[in-house]
Amino acid sequence: MKNKYMYKGLNSSLLFLVCVLLSVFCLLPFADAKIYIDITDPGFRQIPLKITTEGSPYANEIKWIVKSDLEKTGIFSFVAPGVAGAEVVANINAEPADKLKIVLTVTDLIENREVLKKKYDASKSIFRTVAHAAANDIYKAMTGQEGIFRTKLSYLVNVMPGRKELRMMDWDGYKSRKVVSKGLTPSHTWSRDGRSLMYSSERNRKWSIYRLDLDSYRESVIFSSEGLNLVGGASPSGLVSFSSSKDGSSEIYILDPYRKSHKKLTRSYGIDVSPAFSPDGTKIAFVSDRGGSPQIYIMNSDGKGRPKRLTFEGNYNTSPAWSPDGRSIAYVGRINGKNQIFVVKFDGTDLRQLTNVGNNEGPSFSPDEYFIAFDSDREGIRGIYIMRADGGAQQRITPKYLNAVAPEWSPYLK
Amino acid sequence: MKKTLLIFLLILMVGCSKQYTKAPEVVVAPAGKATEQMAAPEGIEEEFVEEVISTGEDRNISEAVISPEEEALSVFKDIMFDYDKYSIRPDARPTLDNVAAFLYKNKKFNVVIEGHCDDRGTNEYNLALGEKRAKSAQGYLSSLGVLPSRMMIMTYGEEKPLCMGQDEICWQRNRRAHFILVK
Repeated sequence: MKNKYMYKGLNSSLLFLVCVLLSVFCLLPFADAKIYIDITDPGFRQIPLKITTEGSPYANEIKWIVKSDLEKTGIFSFVAPGVAGAEVVANINAEPADKLKIVLTVTDLIENREVLKKKYDASKSIFRTVAHAAANDIYKAMTGQEGIFRTKLSYLVNVMPGRKELRMMDWDGYKSRKVVSKGLTPSHTWSRDGRSLMYSSERNRKWSIYRLDLDSYRESVIFSSEGLNLVGGASPSGLVSFSSSKDGSSEIYILDPYRKSHKKLTRSYGIDVSPAFSPDGTKIAFVSDRGGSPQIYIMNSDGKGRPKRLTFEGNYNTSPAWSPDGRSIAYVGRINGKNQIFVVKFDGTDLRQLTNVGNNEGPSFSPDEYFIAFDSDREGIRGIYIMRADGGAQQRITPKYLNAVAPEWSPYLK
Repeated sequence: MKKTLLIFLLILMVGCSKQYTKAPEVVVAPAGKATEQMAAPEGIEEEFVEEVISTGEDRNISEAVISPEEEALSVFKDIMFDYDKYSIRPDARPTLDNVAAFLYKNKKFNVVIEGHCDDRGTNEYNLALGEKRAKSAQGYLSSLGVLPSRMMIMTYGEEKPLCMGQDEICWQRNRRAHFILVK
């Protein structure tokens, strides 16, 4: 049954995918796959890039989106048209037509050769998606890695006290739309394939975990019981971690939504909450007050062995989020009366504080692990921010009037 | 009740009018149990100012029964918690005792216990903390004999603050368990 509180959102992207499959063809493949920049090298040099446009005004619209995407990565310097010094030129040609017909050409000026030529046909209503796809292609041609410019963020908006709605937006904050506006939805997570969202909602004093199929926009209940049920994360094999107080105290569980079975992993009197699956699915980071204050622990996802405490600094550490390579965990720690984002290696070494203005909460890594999304009240009203994973280039991506919290970064989306 | 009061005021008036004299030894009262002696001990002269405020005849005392819903308004007060704690504080016990007595007396009513937090913590942890607070209240009430099945637990964490300020007075008001009467 279609829920009237749901809004169609992914259709345009799907349409675009179909268009790409049907009509996009690489005139030149990634020739000899030269890597222009090794972004894993901390001392990398920025690539001087010039973006030029031809044809209809849409070329310019797309240029600004491409530039904004590439700029956020910090690995490009932009050379104005007519100024010398560029090593790479990306030309965007938009044919004057009813539909959007774009040809992107990337030229290496040093070696004087075309690196990439690609054509995009799509409806004009999804020109932002086309621009993000073009940015991805430029990024991949330069770095050899997948860009995150077509990923999305799900997040929550505080509509009024006791009501939180689930929304989704492009990674740059545009194309925001409601996903679920029923009840109080405080926690949410993406499936690993990016095709569904799972979330906990309180409706009529009952906490259930729901799954929303983003292709059909059908909602189904995947877990429901007495007590507080909060969804954590998803494993590569489709298991879902969650916390539930169905037996009394809040414990960590794993749910197999296909077999409709669940397994209890913790047994402690206190609070166990916020279970996050490691990227390979073998471990779970979670929050527990078993030591007297909320701290982050890591345990095996089969429940064997004793959980190992990860955080020792301070007396309030919550909201763990794994980096996609499984080596680090971002979390919220309380220091000098304020909440800040920290990152620590999963063995507890190399602790770094990434924020220091206002209260900063709800960290989530981008799938390429170069960015962290979070929420902050540094400018008064809470909003969604992104920063590089080293804490650099922090910027707000939601409008100032929107009380927005708890971003969750999608996996790579097609 | 009205009668008793009338007699009482009558006696008071009689007593007052005999200022500077010995109090009467016998007060004649109609049959009934309302024989109140306003006599001062023998030999002691008492001086006081007199003023009749009301004769009692106009007084209209309402004897309507207080409904459980009305009573609950004064009984079901929020109980407060310390920062990041979910143990019952001594100052919460009188309220909980009253809630238990109320539920004992009014068997057809049940209660929803909502746990709340101040907004300094993180949202998910606060939902779990709010639930712990509601459960602490539930545990205390059930130790006083209230059946757990008559108490429904709910948590809102920091999602429904009473007070939006960023100071301890506000935070304290928000760190609470709230009782709602249900049939």
